[in-house]
Amino acid sequence: MAVCVAVIAKENYPLYIRSVPTENELKFHYMVHTSLDVVDEKISAMGKALVDQRELYLGLLYPTEDYKMFRKLHSSYTDVMCNPFYNPGDCIQSRAFDSMVTSMMIQVC
Amino acid sequence: MAQCVQSVQELIPDSFVPCVAALCSDEAERLTRLNHLSFAELLKPFSRLTSEVHMRDPNNQLHVIKNLKIAVSNIITQPPQPGAIRKLLNDVVSGSQPAEGLVANVITAGDYDLNISATTPWFESYRETFLQSMPASDHEFLNHYLACMLVASSSEAEPVEQFSKLSQEQHRIQHNSDCSYPKWFIPNTLKYYVLLHDASAGDEQRAESIYEEMKQKYGTQGCYLLKINSRTSNRASDEQIPDPWSQYLQKNSIQNQESYEDGHCTITSNKNSDSNLLSLDGLDNEVKDGLPNNFRAHPLQLDPSGDPSNSIDGPDHVKSASSLHETKKANTGIIHGACLTLTDHDRIRQFIQEFTFRGLLPHIEKTIRQLNDQLISRKGLSRSLFSATKKWFSGSKVPEKSINELKNTSGLLYPPEAPELQIRKMADLCFLVQHYDLAYSCYHTAKKDFLNDQAMLYAAGALEMAAVSAFLQPGAPRPYPAHYMDTAIQTYRDICKNMVLAERCVLLSAEILKSQGKYSEAAALLIRLTSEDSDLRSALLLEQAAHCFINMKSPMVRKYAFHMILAGHRFSKAGQKKHALRCYCQAMQVYKGKGWSLAEDHINFTIGRQSYTLRQLDNAVSAFRHILINESKQSAAQQGAFLREYLYVYKVNTYFGVDTKIIFK
Repeated sequence: MAVCVAVIAKENYPLYIRSVPTENELKFHYMVHTSLDVVDEKISAMGKALVDQRELYLGLLYPTEDYKMFRKLHSSYTDVMCNPFYNPGDCIQSRAFDSMVTSMMIQVC
Repeated sequence: MAQCVQSVQELIPDSFVPCVAALCSDEAERLTRLNHLSFAELLKPFSRLTSEVHMRDPNNQLHVIKNLKIAVSNIITQPPQPGAIRKLLNDVVSGSQPAEGLVANVITAGDYDLNISATTPWFESYRETFLQSMPASDHEFLNHYLACMLVASSSEAEPVEQFSKLSQEQHRIQHNSDCSYPKWFIPNTLKYYVLLHDASAGDEQRAESIYEEMKQKYGTQGCYLLKINSRTSNRASDEQIPDPWSQYLQKNSIQNQESYEDGHCTITSNKNSDSNLLSLDGLDNEVKDGLPNNFRAHPLQLDPSGDPSNSIDGPDHVKSASSLHETKKANTGIIHGACLTLTDHDRIRQFIQEFTFRGLLPHIEKTIRQLNDQLISRKGLSRSLFSATKKWFSGSKVPEKSINELKNTSGLLYPPEAPELQIRKMADLCFLVQHYDLAYSCYHTAKKDFLNDQAMLYAAGALEMAAVSAFLQPGAPRPYPAHYMDTAIQTYRDICKNMVLAERCVLLSAEILKSQGKYSEAAALLIRLTSEDSDLRSALLLEQAAHCFINMKSPMVRKYAFHMILAGHRFSKAGQKKHALRCYCQAMQVYKGKGWSLAEDHINFTIGRQSYTLRQLDNAVSAFRHILINESKQSAAQQGAFLREYLYVYKVNTYFGVDTKIIFK
């Protein structure tokens, strides 16, 4: 169901970005980059009260996403983080993460 | 939107001004031609009144008009061709480039420090030319002629005879059923007789006596003696007389140009898109930002197989730019107004003041009163009886007769004396004299009538002007009805298929929203109107939308960058290479060094190509170099293509001084 998956670091650069190869990759890259503005907006609107936010899923930017998918992605991401050899800020190169993303993209395509 | 020179409160009244026609005898024309100007051009710099004027509205309230401007133009008997207008707009935009070394703003948003200029003068020139060159149509009366100046010279054999001839000519043009253009406001157009007197060569006594005769015949308020050309000798400019005409004449006005190839500009733009840098891919999927989803050449596609040598559209570029350069050269060589002294300038100013105060405004006042009386007398009949008889006897309206009419007005055509049109006329007159309260109520009434009759084009026009009047009303008694504008735009675009009118709505509405600080609505509005049919318009609107995003309270920097890239792409499709390069360079500031390598590569590649076409070879080389330096995530074929391009441009750059003509063939 997903055509493009991206993990963005705090400093706004992509740690991981992958799209279904048949599509125009450049287009997706641009879209993701631009949609960061909307993310920024939502974060700033939330205010300090939710700093320790359980609300990891900022809500649907566009109402087509699947919440379960996000959960899977997030748990794989925490796995990558837990890897003691992984330096935060590096690009994600874990094979397990890759295969999880592939499974997500193939799912309904 | 970028900051503009004029505020919206100045822009809108200046865009809708009373139109006056000018009909000159040959002798009078010869007199003004001594200054290399036609009569209408002579008046242009002086057509804004320096003092306030006042008039009485139908309720006998005194109404003060500030900063009134009038537009005097020669009568043209054919509406301007759309091809000619497009070419003019193209020239205006390419002629207006950012000045070298322009002081730019530094905007800090998050961790982005951007160096961009806050103003876009090319957009303002485009907008001004666009609004001025709109052809007159039947559903609105704002640019119909209210009056006609008949000009004859005192040095003619029989000036009085000449005046009657001119008067008959005007009558013929207006009432002859063959001439459907230009459009006149009312059947009884005001005629103002101007006797032009050459102060250096003419006989003063004779001029005065002729003027006396005219006053007897036409009344003191209906004529004027204008003395010009006082400069006696051709003094080689020991005093610097200012030349206020050059700024008006550089815009190669349509009225001055003789002939056009209608398809000329379309041919140029087609060639540009054929040898376009980006490959023509099939139709693409929907882009989430709400852009039209049928870009033929997708802006975000790289062309690995293209070769720089194919992309040189030098001849096309030179051709379209050369026309503007020629006219510029021609205009800078000529001195305008060489026979006029400063006293003459004052006399012309005085003339306009007199004309407006004693001729035009009383005429407008009288017309408003007449229309008002007509409307009140109609309202006297009981409303329900009137509407019932209308329904049963289907009134005097012309039902859809042919497909053409259907396309234009989507169903209904009103005869010129229809009461609904009278309301619209009255509303337009009030708007032209800046009486926005009365204008709003008339537009509102007219809108209701038109909507009831399902006359969509007329309704859209009334909605548009009602929204603008509501905004301009002093004291702001009601909030700006943005939904009126939205409905108008939608109607123009979808039902009437008239993009020119829709564009006007969007330009005005975006400016209003910007002045209220509603940047995201303005941006959405601008983006909605970008479409396939006009690259230049889409490019300019996208750029303005980008500026909206950056001017928001919390600037959306990435959206700014994205829309600048789209704008750059449309600019290059429209043949405006310098503007395209500028857009891409500004967008680059946002993407540089941020790790979005595919995007960065794409921008660098395009900058490289554009710089190459504009012969800025150093820029081209460094742009291509940037692609190669960083670790690339591109496919092998793509990387190979980049390397080839770099080597080619580098080679050309090294040999640059030697023999450029051979290399660039």
